[in-house]
Amino acid sequence: VSRILAYCGFRHAPELALPALGVSAVPVQLASYGELGLLWSEVEWPFDPERMQKSAVEFHGVVHYVFRQRAVIPFRLLSVFDDQQAFTAFAAQNHERFLEDLERLKNFVQMECVIYPAPSQPQVDRSSGKAYLAQKAVALRSCEGFAQAMRDAVAHLSSEVRVREAKNGTRIFVLVERGRENDFRQAVSVVAVPEHLSRRMSGPWPAAEFLSEQVKMPESAGAK
Amino acid sequence: MQNDFETVGVLGGGGDEVSLLEILDHVLNSGVVIHGSLVISLAGVDLVYLGLNVVLTSVETALSNLQIEEKRRQK
Repeated sequence: VSRILAYCGFRHAPELALPALGVSAVPVQLASYGELGLLWSEVEWPFDPERMQKSAVEFHGVVHYVFRQRAVIPFRLLSVFDDQQAFTAFAAQNHERFLEDLERLKNFVQMECVIYPAPSQPQVDRSSGKAYLAQKAVALRSCEGFAQAMRDAVAHLSSEVRVREAKNGTRIFVLVERGRENDFRQAVSVVAVPEHLSRRMSGPWPAAEFLSEQVKMPESAGAK
Repeated sequence: MQNDFETVGVLGGGGDEVSLLEILDHVLNSGVVIHGSLVISLAGVDLVYLGLNVVLTSVETALSNLQIEEKRRQK
């Protein structure tokens, strides 16, 4: 069965270079709706689970090909449409919101920092429920303290910071002006990492965490 | 066997290398979600989010393995 796999949306301009091949080496196509450009491919569906990692890297390659040049709104890898008609209907229904977000985020990238229990941390204390909860509370406070210190450290770079608790740590997303990624890295690198925690920075990424809710979960007809 | 945590030569704009784990996390968990995109059918029955669960399980496993790998490297 074939489906339409959507990669990303962006404000289209003739000078933009676009990737030729996408997931599974199938051609990448451009759909335009007004000023909105959308990249897509016709793919065999469902994906072969054995090839999932490769597909993820190829998908990432297409999105970042455009993202290196300008702001994009990425779709999630498993978002597919029944056919071109459904995809076109989606674009018609949502292009204005996409363009609004692209305009708002046009000069920004998303930088990230994850703080997580260090591999060398002491064993979890399971001697009693109380001890376990006390240890968890200490770890949580450390993460919260780090997140606050990071907010302070990047305040001169961004006022848009989001913090999300994940199963394996705390994720901090910062909206940074494109070109100031190294300033971000420098600012974060001087924030002390609490004992028993580790830090990992990454980016730049498309500013997916800062999309409006209507764009993150748009109305759609015919999507599968 | 493929190393799940190899650093791949795909790049953020600054030419940084990004780990496969981070790529998986972003392409699966960040960005536009098409409503109903993860409904799949098996024997005529719609199984909502089954595909997503399978993938998320893999990512969770990958994260655990990453921590084990880091511990091993530190020894």
